[in-house]
Amino acid sequence: MKILVAIKQVPERDAQISIAADGRWIDESDLSYTINEPDAYALEEALQLKEKNGGEVVVLCAGPERVTSTLREALAKGADRAIHIEADDLGERDTLGIAQLLADAARAESPDLILTGLQSDDLGLGQTGVVLAELLGIPHATIIMQVEVTTAGLKVKRELEDGWFQYVEMPLPALLTIQSGGNKLRYATLMGIKKAKTKETKTVQAAPATAAQAITLERVYLPEKQKKTEILTGTPAEVAAKLVEKLKFEVRAI
Amino acid sequence: MTAALIPGIHLSATLAEPAHFSGLEKISLLIGIAISLVLFFWRFGPILRTIFRSKKDNDFSLHPIRRRLWDFVWEVLCQGKVIRQRPLPGLAHAFVFWGFLAFALVSLNHIANAVGLGFLNPASDLGTFYFFFAAAWALLVAVSITALFVRRFFVRPIWLGEKVSYESGVIAFLIFLLMVSYLGAFFVDASGTAVKVLWWTHTLTLLVFLPLIPHTKHLHLVISPFTVFLKRDGFSRIPPLSGDEDFGLVSGKDVTQLISLQVYSCVECGRCTEHCPASNTGKVLNPKEIILGTRSYLNEFGPASETSLLTDMREVPSNNPAAKYMSMEAAFECTTCGSCEYQCPVGIQHLPIIIGLRRGATNTGAWEDTHGTKLFLALEKHGNALGLSAMERDKFIQKQAFPIFDGTQEYCLWLGCMGGYDPKGREIIADFARVMQYLGTTFGVLKKEKCTGDPARRLGNDLVFQTMAEFGLKAFETAKVQKIVAICPHCVRTISNDWREYGIAPEIEHHSEFMARHKARLPKQDSGESIVYHDPCYLGRYRDVYEEPREIVSLAGELVEAPRSHERSFCCGAGGGLAFLGEESGERVSHVRAAELAGTGAQIVGTACPFCNTMFRDALSAMGEAPPQLLDIAQLTARALPASEMRTGEQ
Repeated sequence: MKILVAIKQVPERDAQISIAADGRWIDESDLSYTINEPDAYALEEALQLKEKNGGEVVVLCAGPERVTSTLREALAKGADRAIHIEADDLGERDTLGIAQLLADAARAESPDLILTGLQSDDLGLGQTGVVLAELLGIPHATIIMQVEVTTAGLKVKRELEDGWFQYVEMPLPALLTIQSGGNKLRYATLMGIKKAKTKETKTVQAAPATAAQAITLERVYLPEKQKKTEILTGTPAEVAAKLVEKLKFEVRAI
Repeated sequence: MTAALIPGIHLSATLAEPAHFSGLEKISLLIGIAISLVLFFWRFGPILRTIFRSKKDNDFSLHPIRRRLWDFVWEVLCQGKVIRQRPLPGLAHAFVFWGFLAFALVSLNHIANAVGLGFLNPASDLGTFYFFFAAAWALLVAVSITALFVRRFFVRPIWLGEKVSYESGVIAFLIFLLMVSYLGAFFVDASGTAVKVLWWTHTLTLLVFLPLIPHTKHLHLVISPFTVFLKRDGFSRIPPLSGDEDFGLVSGKDVTQLISLQVYSCVECGRCTEHCPASNTGKVLNPKEIILGTRSYLNEFGPASETSLLTDMREVPSNNPAAKYMSMEAAFECTTCGSCEYQCPVGIQHLPIIIGLRRGATNTGAWEDTHGTKLFLALEKHGNALGLSAMERDKFIQKQAFPIFDGTQEYCLWLGCMGGYDPKGREIIADFARVMQYLGTTFGVLKKEKCTGDPARRLGNDLVFQTMAEFGLKAFETAKVQKIVAICPHCVRTISNDWREYGIAPEIEHHSEFMARHKARLPKQDSGESIVYHDPCYLGRYRDVYEEPREIVSLAGELVEAPRSHERSFCCGAGGGLAFLGEESGERVSHVRAAELAGTGAQIVGTACPFCNTMFRDALSAMGEAPPQLLDIAQLTARALPASEMRTGEQ
């Protein structure tokens, strides 16, 4: 089985984010990058499927030169090949634009299964995988906890709300967006890094962005902190009732 | 220059030597010698071949030759380690050894006599002196070997192994016989048959003894002087990996010449196991068995084998009880406290071997451990062993108002994972910072700091270790740091020693050394409290710092020594990355040590390592009512500083 894993490189979780001078994106100059967490789980799932069923794992990532470090790490953890779609203008492309880049590369590979994280740590749109499946004309399932290969195709476990799960059977080829935490991640080893040196990374140039983007980014800003104090008055019972109401509907903490 | 005849009948005054040897006797002797030598090399040859065919130690250098000579004189000739670590049996062993040296000439002369080449005339002044000198040694050897025999077969200390070693009994008997047959010659007439009987007894004993040497652990007689001279320079020195195919000790082909030489030198005395915190608390790990396991592996598979060293990954006959000692479980129970390597009398360096086995398992991904993986991912992702967000460190620095190092300050204060993230470690750092402020020493902290890679290093993850070391070296270089001070002996050791593989770090010292240097300006406290000081492994055995922290403790109260202290200190259980691994099997190392410290009756347990501190915090609180107070030496000092210097150490 040939599995393609679409991964994204995102700023490290602890990074001190600041806004770029034009207010349209974050300042990337002093940032460290890492693999998007749900994508790390997608990669892990792919590696485990390969270990169980054999086949090949190809990792795919779009972005500037710096994303090759994330691709190398994926190779070190056990992916067989990597494809780098070189593009310096991802910030100017919307979800559809990026999914188109990925779809072009995926078509050339014609994989049996495409895995990707359910969403990204930076933008968190949760759209790319779904749009990619649509562009390729293959079925997809989202928020996947478990994948099992069957004779007919796949049986997957989806996470629904409120502790509910859904089991879905689907044919191949297909696309799954993987939830974090379904598996235990592995650590990169020295042997893996050494082996990764001999593995192939293919670089393809991104097709130019189409002029008309469905979504345009207007402003990026850090969450604005608010401090508001309100004294509730009345009998203890009244105060308690008001407090519950505020916690429920205003703060939405309970 | 001939074997002179003895004219007198002064039986007890001179050594009797046989006057004449028949042609048959001479031929028998030569045949005997030939057989003995053949049998000796029958076994010794293959051993030498195994050692020479092992992989070269690419980092070996004879360089500090003075240190090597000194080790040879002290450890081999003076038997310093043998005596120091086990005084009575050590002294008995030393007498046997020195007796052998004194006997070398006598034995040569003894054999030479038979072919008319004797060179020591018992009647000459020199001869009289030397034979009496040797006789005195023979007496000492005979008494010592008897005592050692009694110890081994009747007292039976458990460290010598559960199985009685009969070969040792035979060897002891042969040595005894050699001495008695020599001494006997002082009491017989030179012309009788008794002297011949004694001569042949002595000779045959020698000829039987020789081939037994390479077939038994008495091989150490021949090779351990070389082992001591050639051992790797530096304590717990982990050699660099060479080339793209080297991941540590995976199989026989990774075993280096030094390791081969060392494992064949093992005399099975069990000192390593006697002091091992894992062996003492019911774990599988037994350092002696790791050495013997490696030796059996080399005997069975040879130094070019691709068969896995660890028994988890090769087929082992089910009736082989020693297999468990070469398991991954055993290798990962080591706290790297170094007490095994520290006191090995034949120059075996256990840590490069144990850590080498871990490297082989971790670098290839064969070691799958939930806690270990979590630790490595935390280091990869967050750069600290506690797995907390790096922002937590920033917040702590802000709260403490620690200045950022900018090149104007004298010291860079290294926080480490414990000092930067752990609540108790933060108290220690905050208190040490107060001491520095009180002394008027300027310092700053790095804006960004990652773990030194110590736990990854000891658990055999060279990838993470290298990443951490390179990050740290660059951070020091960018900030133009000249001098570093740290509260954690693990950080000090790793930065000053292990990082050398990737570059030279600025000079670093432990806060005990810093404070001891300034002790004249630190307040002397009349607390009257008794404080028992615990030597951290990485400060004591690893860095030879024993007195500095004691000087600080003595400023704060009355110093009490634990039963096991200084270089004999017993580990807290945290080292070697074990602080981050899961529940121990058997008794907890930290509980054993904490009970020992509390058992001194001291009011305070004084520590000098944040890891020891955190281990004892848990262990002491589990001990129930009124455990002693637990304070780092920085806290012991800071509590006496004037109030104006007070800044809250509470985190």
